[in-house]
Amino acid sequence: MKPPLRWLVPLLVIWAAAPFLMPHAINDLLVFATLYYLSGLGVGLALGQAGIVNLGQALFFGIGAYASAYFSTRGVPMPVGLLVGALLAAGLAALLGYGILRLHGFFLGLATLALGIMGHVLFFEWDGITGGSIGVGGIPQVSLFGFTLDSSERHYYFAGAVAMLATWVAHNLMRGRTGLMMRAARDSGEAALSLGISLHRLRTAVFALCALLGSVAGSLFAHYVTFVSVDSFGLMKSLTFLLVPVLGGMRCWPGMVAGALFVTFVPYLLSRLGDIHQVLFGLAMIAVVVVLPNGLSSIAVMLREAWRARRSVAAPAVARPGPQAPSHRPEVRHGR
Amino acid sequence: MTASLVLQALFAGVTNGFVYALIGMGLAVIFRGSHVINAAQGDCAVIGAIAAIFLLGQLGAPYLLAALGGGLVSALLCAGMDLGFVRHMKRRGASEEQYLLLTIGVAVTLSAALLYFVGRGSYSLPALGADHVFVIADAVIVEHALWLVGGGLALMLALHAFYRRTTLGLAMMAASIDPVGAASTGIDVARMRTLTFAMGGLLGAFAGILVAPMLAMDYHVGMMLTLKGFAAAILGGLANPFGAVVGGLTLALLESLTITTISSGYKDVIAFGLLIVIMIALPNGMLGRAGRQGG
Repeated sequence: MKPPLRWLVPLLVIWAAAPFLMPHAINDLLVFATLYYLSGLGVGLALGQAGIVNLGQALFFGIGAYASAYFSTRGVPMPVGLLVGALLAAGLAALLGYGILRLHGFFLGLATLALGIMGHVLFFEWDGITGGSIGVGGIPQVSLFGFTLDSSERHYYFAGAVAMLATWVAHNLMRGRTGLMMRAARDSGEAALSLGISLHRLRTAVFALCALLGSVAGSLFAHYVTFVSVDSFGLMKSLTFLLVPVLGGMRCWPGMVAGALFVTFVPYLLSRLGDIHQVLFGLAMIAVVVVLPNGLSSIAVMLREAWRARRSVAAPAVARPGPQAPSHRPEVRHGR
Repeated sequence: MTASLVLQALFAGVTNGFVYALIGMGLAVIFRGSHVINAAQGDCAVIGAIAAIFLLGQLGAPYLLAALGGGLVSALLCAGMDLGFVRHMKRRGASEEQYLLLTIGVAVTLSAALLYFVGRGSYSLPALGADHVFVIADAVIVEHALWLVGGGLALMLALHAFYRRTTLGLAMMAASIDPVGAASTGIDVARMRTLTFAMGGLLGAFAGILVAPMLAMDYHVGMMLTLKGFAAAILGGLANPFGAVVGGLTLALLESLTITTISSGYKDVIAFGLLIVIMIALPNGMLGRAGRQGG
């Protein structure tokens, strides 16, 4: 088997078997983890590939959720709401991004934070569409080809399939020309410009993609919880989405999976300790930022390196002949 | 709109403007001294104020001593943030985003710690000059608002003098603008940064204490204060010592204008919209000088 398949297949098996092995409450969390992963994948692409700190992803998540809520409560089939939300979010992100992506670093981060807060206020004020603080209830469950998503297991598989599709698209995008251009632009903006790469357009496109993923996640979220209100689209939600790539590792999708599992399961496990759990969660966030700049995935990298080093020391003679590891193994660890 | 309503809006705008300016000043001090935007500034202000309230209420300390105590708590907190995390990250050469994430993490932790230790209640200080009010052409202004404005102006001038006239202030600036050059003249760059953080925390606490009689302090006002303070500092220009005051006044007057003419719900939308536009159009702020890179 090719090296990626060697761990991709077991991972898929674990994914497929998870709902049968877990109690119902955990399954519910797994659906949320999947949705956070989907939205966080967008944030991670923006952060890892284009250096855009997006502290306002909840805005796009909210657009998707409200679009789905608005259309599906009026009897329009589910894909329409999802598509309208996605297009709206991506279009808005392209428009806003055209303006704010001139900024960098802190200033860009704070601009997106400001966008997120403006979105939160507007969701509250435009109660004709969003229901304000009362929210929109009674969002029907998704029904595709006569197959209704009426349990968290079914939602889990559906959201998981969407997430995999998104991962596959993102992975190919990053491995291809676009990804190369983006990495060039991130690592040396001037050199990329001199090669005729339009930095600004690229960053805008990534931002729009990020918003699109957020919106799709929002749509699925609305159909899953069947009730949306402004409380779901605040600063904390944006922060959660940002933490997915930051905690997990922004340059590879398995890292983001780990990040999504972290932001759903750690608060759940800590919540048994009472109010102190938020303090612990904050401290965990600080610890990861300070100690592991590349997130949890750097632990995996360290372990792999250590394992390899040990193996090469212990059994140098067993090494297979021929064109082995270095040339064969695709180095997909982008970046620094 | 009557004249007294306009005047009332003006009073509210000036008062709030100084609230934002005080937070913005602390942010600007830390940014100028360390190139870090402290997203926990608002939470430091809240903690400083709540510490002062406890000193005043539970221990019966005199007002001034309680204020100094609150300032000390917040200064130590910020200095600790530098010693514990920022110094380590500076050595590694972390990127701007990572500092932002760090300070947001600190803000989240502090706000959660407040929730855990002092609960959901809100706390306020007794106003200076009790509840005495001045009435000018039917518009009302409480005496404390004048203390707030006076305190804000005094702190601004003191800060200006500090950076211009004292050796320590000049050394702090030098350490920030050119760390290598400063180190070669014998300035302890890392210590200057710690002092910068402590000073930012002190300013934050004074901001919180001056505001606490007018705006009740609880565990979740911190982030909003930070954002408004940041908007104020950016509007005026981070590098300019008067920037935060000019920016804060502009922001708050615009907000009170929005409240009186459109609706109070949209004031944050207007404020943050303006923030974004100014960041793009006037990168150095309205007083534009010296760029945002520091110094």
